Amino acid sequence: MTSDLVFWAGVVVVFVGGVFDFIAGLGMLRFPNFYVRLHAATIGTIYGAVLPLIGVALMALGSPIPNNTFIAGGCLATALVLFLVAPIGSHLLAYAAHKARAVEWSPVVDQLGEEE
Amino acid sequence: MFREVLVTLWLFLFYIVYTGSTTPYDIATGLVVAALVGVPASRVLVSDERKLLDVKRYIHLFYYALKYMTVIEFKAHMDVVKRVFTMRLNPGIVKIPVYAKSRYGRLLIAVSITNTPGTVVVDERDGWFYVNWIDVASTKPEEARLAISAEFEDYAFKIFE
Repeated sequence: MTSDLVFWAGVVVVFVGGVFDFIAGLGMLRFPNFYVRLHAATIGTIYGAVLPLIGVALMALGSPIPNNTFIAGGCLATALVLFLVAPIGSHLLAYAAHKARAVEWSPVVDQLGEEE
Repeated sequence: MFREVLVTLWLFLFYIVYTGSTTPYDIATGLVVAALVGVPASRVLVSDERKLLDVKRYIHLFYYALKYMTVIEFKAHMDVVKRVFTMRLNPGIVKIPVYAKSRYGRLLIAVSITNTPGTVVVDERDGWFYVNWIDVASTKPEEARLAISAEFEDYAFKIFE
């Protein structure tokens, strides 16, 4: 009974992650430039990737399949590493784009550009 | 010595979670690998071992991680999701002051800002973060800080300072 609950909680979490991934994809298409698209990419990374990994871990823990703790542990560790490493990628992309002035956009204010 | 042991134990715990196995073989391998990595790395990773033994800091970290993944992330996600459909965008790069001094504290704030949709740290210099904000509500540094990073900074102080 408890393992069924854990399994179905995992299914729900994976499904919610899929919905957020879909919306992140829409955002990537609709948003006007690189800097704004970065925010859509963050949706795809956190609730679109970290959350489903936690969901798969729950599904594995709730399943009677062999080596389920191995799958769950791998997913949880990957979710943690992704959570810590993904923002570094976003930061470096934004930093490089701003430094190279590679993006044409009309921000409300650019206090970093004003100081350079 | 405490420092080396504690870092090794944390790495061992990560190893056991990652392998998902507590067989004698995995415990032995985990201890050896954790010690091989943890002992030399501990001097780089930890400067004040008393903080590693402070249970209150772990409780704050656990509470913050839970609140961040559920409440804070959910609010930020829903805000950007709404903007995907309404296209109400007001983007810009604002500067905000950062008062945390420790490197871990500053990292926690930067990671927390960037991992919430709607804000990305673009640069860091002289105690300021430059944040790409999807909806610039204020260009005044203190007001922007209150909206973006004040809560993260509170926890950074409680956990790492």
